[in-house]
Amino acid sequence: MKIICLVKFVPDVDNFTYDYEKNVLVRENVKLILNPEDACALSFALRIKGKNPETFVEIVSMAPQSTIPLIEDLLRLNVDKATLISDKLYGGSDTYVTSKIIAKYLRYEEYNFILTGSHSLDGDTAHIPSQIAEMLQISQLSNIVKVDEESLVNDSVIVLVDCEKNLSEYELALPSVLSIGKESKYKLPFVKYKDLELNVKDRISVITNDELKFLKNEVGIEGSLTKVNRTFARKLNNKEKVVVRNDDEGIEVVYKFLKDKGFV
Amino acid sequence: MNRSLIYFDEEDFENSIDLLEVVNQIYKDSEYETYAICFNHNDGVIDGKFDYLINIQNEEIKNYDVQNITNCIEELHHIYDFDSILIPATYLGRMLAPRLSMRLKVGLVADVTAIEHNNGVVEMVRPAFSGKIFAGIVNKNCKTIMMSVRPNVFVYTTASLKKTEKINFKPTTVKPSKISLLKTKEKENIKDIRESEVLISGGGGVIGDFEHLYLLAHELNGMVSASRSIVDSGIASRSIQVGQSGKTVSPKLYIALGIYGSLQHIEGLKNVENIISVNINKDAPICSLADIVVEGDAIEFIDKLLEKINKNRI
Repeated sequence: MKIICLVKFVPDVDNFTYDYEKNVLVRENVKLILNPEDACALSFALRIKGKNPETFVEIVSMAPQSTIPLIEDLLRLNVDKATLISDKLYGGSDTYVTSKIIAKYLRYEEYNFILTGSHSLDGDTAHIPSQIAEMLQISQLSNIVKVDEESLVNDSVIVLVDCEKNLSEYELALPSVLSIGKESKYKLPFVKYKDLELNVKDRISVITNDELKFLKNEVGIEGSLTKVNRTFARKLNNKEKVVVRNDDEGIEVVYKFLKDKGFV
Repeated sequence: MNRSLIYFDEEDFENSIDLLEVVNQIYKDSEYETYAICFNHNDGVIDGKFDYLINIQNEEIKNYDVQNITNCIEELHHIYDFDSILIPATYLGRMLAPRLSMRLKVGLVADVTAIEHNNGVVEMVRPAFSGKIFAGIVNKNCKTIMMSVRPNVFVYTTASLKKTEKINFKPTTVKPSKISLLKTKEKENIKDIRESEVLISGGGGVIGDFEHLYLLAHELNGMVSASRSIVDSGIASRSIQVGQSGKTVSPKLYIALGIYGSLQHIEGLKNVENIISVNINKDAPICSLADIVVEGDAIEFIDKLLEKINKNRI
């Protein structure tokens, strides 16, 4: 069985700060992490490989080459191959173009199914999994909390999905794109001590536009269908507020407020 | 005449109807017509709201079969050449919108929370970087604009009724489905925090005793919600998370206990009538939104307030 897992490295957004004077996001010194839901997806793939050692797990990521050390860390978790799609021409691509690029690589690959996270921490558009599935003309589901591993022996798969209001079980024809959600219990293991320095360079393959052969005007900012016109910080409307302490007097103020408004 | 298509999600008809307000803001005073598309719909909720109702009656198309729904909308778009396509960012809508945009080769903006007009172009506004900044996004070189819209942000209020004309459309592109629903069950915690008028919400400051919040929620007949730090630490489920990566809520009363109020959290508060913030740091960002700021420990506050309420009851 071959599983392709799409992963993305995202800035650890909790450590961002905003410079309100200059109106810019301070992105220096913010470290990149594996997108949390992609980590869930990869750990599911490795779980399958743990049970069936002949399973081949490939990760695919579109990113600058500076992410290679992060990719190497994932390879040390027993991932068989990593494909890094990287070209200066691809910088500034919107989700439409990004999906086109990744799908063009995938079109020539064989796989039983593709795993992704459902959302990413940075953009959080959740576009890529559905768009890639559309390009490949296969089905896709988001927010998968559990994959029925027994069901994978057939040419379909049974998954449990968190659809906000209900929990549903679906059967999908394979190949398909399975997007794992945060509520799944799949957790990525740590790299084994003996593998910490393992040389995995020969398992990385870098794909550039030399292979994918897009025209310059089809990708990057030029090929994108959307454009960020401007970015701005939200101004908080300061209310007339009362500041009290957590003492009898303060509690009295809160109580009276709740009483006047009919909450107690 | 501008033609706007709204995908009507059977699972969430209120938020689907609210998209009429978005159309209103896009076209303002210029003329427009609204089209609703739904599948196997047999309820009257749309009547009088839209100009046209395209109801596709075909038992083969299930309401979760995104591929076939995409096929149908593509076919319709070739006939009507819509100027805008709006999809509620519900569970299904968030899978449908990107697939459809790819098929139609139309740029898509996700989770739109505001519409702005800037030098004659429509700017779709969405939060970025976990709500730390906002981006105004425009569509390049394409007549049609397309977006998914964050639920609970826009409210449609116009009372005048329209004469909804029904369009009978028989798609010719339905294919054998690649997906089937085996079983479904409603979540045990059926009530959604978005439906509660009172929310007792906890953040990092109450991480040591989050269960305590339920006492106050019970007393005030409300529900407990949480910030991302609580959800990420595994104490509460994502279904009760408020914020950009959680839910947008509009309760009458929001008591923020030990919540710092990052922009990503504040993004989840829309039209909240009253906010009380309890925090050891009276300058935490959430406090600038509050009617009352209580400076102090939030768990202690719960006990004191409950004691006060009980005393006054006797």
